[in-house]
Amino acid sequence: MSPQKILFSPVTRLSGLLSVELEIEHRLVIEANVSCTMFRGFEYIMRNHHVTDAVYLTQRICGICSSVHGAVASYLLDQLYDNDIEENAQYLRNIMMGADFLQNHIRHFYFFGLPDFVAMPNQPPFLSQNCYDCRFDEEDNRRLASHYLEAIKAGEKSHQILALFGGKAPHQHSFVHGGVAVAPTAGKINQALALVRDIRDFVKRYLMPDTELIAKCYSDYFRIGKTPGRFLSFGLFRFGSKNNQMLWQSGVLENGRLSDVHLGLIQEDISRAWFERAAWLKSDEISPAPHKPEAYTWTKSVQFRGKHYEGGPLARMLMNGFYEGGTSTMDRIVARSLETLLISELMEEWLHELQPGEPPIHQKKDLVHNQATAVTDAMRGPLLHSALVQDEKVEKYDIITPTVWNFSPKDEQNHRGPAESALVGTDIPSPELRNVILGRIIRSFDPCISCATH
Amino acid sequence: MEKNEFLQLCRDNSLAGNHKLSSRILPVVREYLLDHSNNKLLVIWLETSDSGDNNIAFMNATYPYLNQVFTDMIDLIYSNTFMAAQGSDALLLLEDTVNHFRGRFTLVVEGAVPTKDRGIYNVIARTKNGPITALEVVTRLGEAAQYVIAIGTCASFGGASSAAPNVTGSVGVSQVLEREVINVSGCPVNPDWFVGTLAHLLMYGKPELDEYNRPKLFYGFTVHRHCQRRSYFDKKDFAKKLGDIECMFSQGCSGPRTSSDCPYRQWINHVSWPVKVNTPCIGCTNRDFPDGSAPFFTPLPQKSKSEGTGHSEQTKPKKGGDT
Ligand code: SF4
Repeated sequence: MSPQKILFSPVTRLSGLLSVELEIEHRLVIEANVSCTMFRGFEYIMRNHHVTDAVYLTQRICGICSSVHGAVASYLLDQLYDNDIEENAQYLRNIMMGADFLQNHIRHFYFFGLPDFVAMPNQPPFLSQNCYDCRFDEEDNRRLASHYLEAIKAGEKSHQILALFGGKAPHQHSFVHGGVAVAPTAGKINQALALVRDIRDFVKRYLMPDTELIAKCYSDYFRIGKTPGRFLSFGLFRFGSKNNQMLWQSGVLENGRLSDVHLGLIQEDISRAWFERAAWLKSDEISPAPHKPEAYTWTKSVQFRGKHYEGGPLARMLMNGFYEGGTSTMDRIVARSLETLLISELMEEWLHELQPGEPPIHQKKDLVHNQATAVTDAMRGPLLHSALVQDEKVEKYDIITPTVWNFSPKDEQNHRGPAESALVGTDIPSPELRNVILGRIIRSFDPCISCATH
Repeated sequence: MEKNEFLQLCRDNSLAGNHKLSSRILPVVREYLLDHSNNKLLVIWLETSDSGDNNIAFMNATYPYLNQVFTDMIDLIYSNTFMAAQGSDALLLLEDTVNHFRGRFTLVVEGAVPTKDRGIYNVIARTKNGPITALEVVTRLGEAAQYVIAIGTCASFGGASSAAPNVTGSVGVSQVLEREVINVSGCPVNPDWFVGTLAHLLMYGKPELDEYNRPKLFYGFTVHRHCQRRSYFDKKDFAKKLGDIECMFSQGCSGPRTSSDCPYRQWINHVSWPVKVNTPCIGCTNRDFPDGSAPFFTPLPQKSKSEGTGHSEQTKPKKGGDT
């Protein structure tokens, strides 16, 4: 029997537009092409902007992790202007990022992930769920499905914290270069503390036990959707006057060995992406080529030292010694929930450290450098912004997002990115289980296509 | 149909090796829709070229919360973000709703529509017969819908997705449709503006619209008019830097030319808005956002408008400037 070509499209319950093309032979997935099918061109949009616009404009790349784009753009500007950041500003910045992480993880688990495992009521937006492999008994199922509703308020409260300090969400306002513009008053701190306690209670009462229940009932997913075990993180939660101290370390984890990330060894490959090097452009310039025949996605293939690496909560939890486990679908889900718990606890600590007072912001007037690269981890993994600036105007702006790492298409040598490797080798016992199983594997990466293609 | 019967139906089919389950499910769905569509809005939500920020904003709705919107106001049949169905099952639901509820559903579009290269820069799904572009599906569904709502500034006017140099030729939804589109702009939309518009449609029909087809009840006045810092502005008492408590005009505030009720409605359970955290309004509800607000931190008279970013090839909008 020759391999069967299959389209899984659209892959729903994620951010942005994703299709996956697969080849299946004797029940086994033997090839997978992840295809990110939307493109806007933010690297071109950034050009000619005053460089300080980056902190607000790059947030428009993504609705679910906007604050993190704002954050990395702020770090980049801190370098360009050589700002000194007050300790209070660092706490505020991390509190805002933390709040957005909580929002993201809670919503991912309940709105995007839960219907992969739990039979939802037969009403919109859950029609045609086609629950072929829903394993919970009626009682557990009813309880789990009802937690979808509980999560609605927990997600909203997370963004309330972000808005308290950042004016609005998504696309917050006060986390800018030089610090934070908002005054952390005692009233705001107390309001945020009350919200964080509610969220932490939610995480402890619902998210953690629900994760455990799903992990137990679907324990076969500790063997499904494995990746080759190469992880990369740029670290998370910066402190220090020059953003130079990292709470959660950065690194490259391979065969259990941790080493440093050298930014110079990161490269993007466009062989299978809809881009081409146009002769009339400068040598390192690329332009969109939507009809390029050998391409199948708007996402470039990003590599460190010539290899693909997986990023995200699992990478961070493994690297920092918070989790010991494998590289499977369920490991990614469990690590994300664990990270949610850790961040909800850190948030409370930070809010106690935050001193009520004046807005902790000092923006320097003149550019000191005209080129900088800034990194942080975002919810889904490593995020990099890099800019070349002339007279405060952007000449070139490069963005590499977490979903570029995880949903890298094949490179020139046909090496698969993490999500593609996780899909290949999957056993599909019967055709109606296809989307169910593949959907679970894909969503465990929490893909965000608007970020991936930007 | 009870949930258990539904589950049973799924299992029966899978055991029988009949993979055309959807064809059995759809009549049930249709029946369900007929029962419910009288008192709720039947909604198809398409995500096109955007950041997904408007669906996140929608999740932030308070009073009514998201679940109350789902139970009392809308039947969200298709939504890339929320729907449980996936793959071809999702497309079948879309197809079926359009075929059976022509003229009776509300189309919500989140994102701009790329028009260059026949819209190939945004493909909402791939099928055996080729890609379905946002351009194609918005055009087709736009004709069949009772109401079309553009949610967010990208869908309303092109927004960040169409910012210069706009390599994808993206435009707002109204520019690809020969019909009225209700624009609920904002980057992102304040959930109150969107849920309020839905509530109006449900209870009283179409709300009164301004010259940019935005519901007047949310966009009737400028930010400047109701700003808490207006007394500073009137005294010409301007902030020297971000973080100061005076009027943000000196820091690039676009409030005087931006229509929205942010100063009193505020964001996320009504806790704050940009000027309240000592930063300028960047005019995100405007037809020319973001280009017309750039550079964001430069006072209004010196902002460069659409030429400001140095690009000339930006798609020229149909209508005049905001006032
Ligand atoms: S801060 Fe902006 S909106 Fe408020 S008064 Fe000043 S210019 Fe007007």
